[in-house]
Amino acid sequence: MIYVEKLRKEFKKAIKEPGLKGSLKSFIKPKNEIITAVDDITFHVPKGEILGFIGPNGAGKSTVIKMLTGILTPTSGKCEINGQIPYKNRKNYVKEIGVVFGQRTQLWWDLALRETYTVLKEIYEVDDEQYKKRMSFLNEVLDLESFITSPVRTLSLGQRMRADIAASLLHSPKVLFLDEPTIGLDVVVKDNIRNAIKQINENEQTTVILTTHDLQDVENLCDRIVMIDKGKKVFDGAIDSLKERYGQSRELKFIPVNFDIAANLDYEREFNLSDNDIFVENDGHSISVKFNSDKVSVEKMLSYTLSVTHVKDINVGDADIEEIIKDIYKSGVDIGG
Amino acid sequence: MRIIKKIHRTFKLHRIFIKQDLKRLMEYKVDFLTGAVGMLLAQAINLFFLSVIFSQIPSLNGYTFEQIIFIYGFALLPKAIDHLFFDNLWSIGYFIIRKGDFDKYLTRPVSTLFAVTVEKFQVDAFGELIVGITFLCVSIPQIDISINFINILLFIIAVLFSTFIYTGIKLITSSIAFWTKRSGHVMYMFYMVNEFAKYPTTIYNKVVASIITYIIPFAFTAFFPASYFLVGGNPLFNIGGTIVMAAALMALGIFVWNKGVSAYESAGS
Repeated sequence: MIYVEKLRKEFKKAIKEPGLKGSLKSFIKPKNEIITAVDDITFHVPKGEILGFIGPNGAGKSTVIKMLTGILTPTSGKCEINGQIPYKNRKNYVKEIGVVFGQRTQLWWDLALRETYTVLKEIYEVDDEQYKKRMSFLNEVLDLESFITSPVRTLSLGQRMRADIAASLLHSPKVLFLDEPTIGLDVVVKDNIRNAIKQINENEQTTVILTTHDLQDVENLCDRIVMIDKGKKVFDGAIDSLKERYGQSRELKFIPVNFDIAANLDYEREFNLSDNDIFVENDGHSISVKFNSDKVSVEKMLSYTLSVTHVKDINVGDADIEEIIKDIYKSGVDIGG
Repeated sequence: MRIIKKIHRTFKLHRIFIKQDLKRLMEYKVDFLTGAVGMLLAQAINLFFLSVIFSQIPSLNGYTFEQIIFIYGFALLPKAIDHLFFDNLWSIGYFIIRKGDFDKYLTRPVSTLFAVTVEKFQVDAFGELIVGITFLCVSIPQIDISINFINILLFIIAVLFSTFIYTGIKLITSSIAFWTKRSGHVMYMFYMVNEFAKYPTTIYNKVVASIITYIIPFAFTAFFPASYFLVGGNPLFNIGGTIVMAAALMALGIFVWNKGVSAYESAGS
């Protein structure tokens, strides 16, 4: 369905020294450097999959999306979607895709929301009957009814995002690209949007590629993730396998009956662990112990803890994907994929 | 058949977009009315100054007042038509590319140039159009022009292609923004040369005359075609020149535009 091979994008960037003097200098004698925004990325996406595209700010996520949607021309490499090359047969190609950039809108700012849909209907040559059906479906999924007659400029961010997603789906695209579709939204709206995406994916086998910084999006929606950093792919696989590979971190949390007795717990000595493998935090209400389950099993941790102190409450938390990704972002090492 | 269908669709979309833009204008009533009053004022001031100038100077380099009014009126028509349909190119030069807003045109299944230009229907242009037509209607009965089928046809052709000289120049200069991110001032500089076109080219010195004939050929949007109707002359140069210049500028413009689209770098988000 989507084949991306050694996709690369370089930008020329003027080097400017600070201040007006620097600006003047570069105006008279410009110096350029080449910046590689996307560095030979390869991945495939089968039909009907929801792929999460994640990475820190400036990793090159949007640049990849822009190449896949025909907005940017790649410097080198290949991308093929539905057998079409985005920047070559652009006009034909974009009929089959839907695109939402969370930070921008494609709606007609000054007019009632409905007007946008009637224009898009003509642009995409959707016939009347299909349009009617489609609108009632989108209405059901995204709940547009209450604001469809309001001018777009008066919509709240959540309404606008739903309206934008509906606009991208009007022509029943086979592939949907969502660049940060939940940015700046509250929890309830995020949830609505996630459900809508899921429903559309299930009903119509729409392939979805989404970028996000919200890991809840990833956990709730994505079958697979591709993680990129500094333009390079650093991980490609199922979320479970990410947890498996990098998720040995567990968190033991308990409320001791007596804090003074609990203070006798010394995990480092007991299990001979280094600082990297264990981290204990006592906030006065509870004690949290983060540990590497490769080095010491959950069972041993539990039995040692309970042998020293009585507890009112205890639980062991799973690896938190957010933590894993933070670790990977920070360490920045190439961990292959 | 396919071509006819395509043209039909283009016109249909065009109509829809114009309707949308008119609705947009109506949305902001105060702004619309103020704009309309301002436009009429601007043209009234133009008229006033012209009458002042010609109350002092009865003839200009052999051209009578009526003939000058004819050239002036002629000059306004292509300018107004370009203004009406292709005004959004200014936004390309000033901010659409710089802000990365060009993205949305690229995700629609229509030509980018079409999508950009149909988005704005600049009704301000009706001021120039009305004044231009008025000037022609006032001057024609007082000068010796034979109104026949050939002349009317040539007139329409001349106005149409003159329009494309304006559009072509704007297209080339606005496309520069694909590389430099902003080219509004370049556009403005080239565009303002059209002010020379309202008067006979023969009143200027050689340098200016050559520039507006061969380099930024605004002379072909008014003086050359208009003087064919006024004093005769070689239609191959006066009207043919307009057609050749328009075709060359539009071809170059579309070429540069397409090159620019593939060099487009968007903006970070």
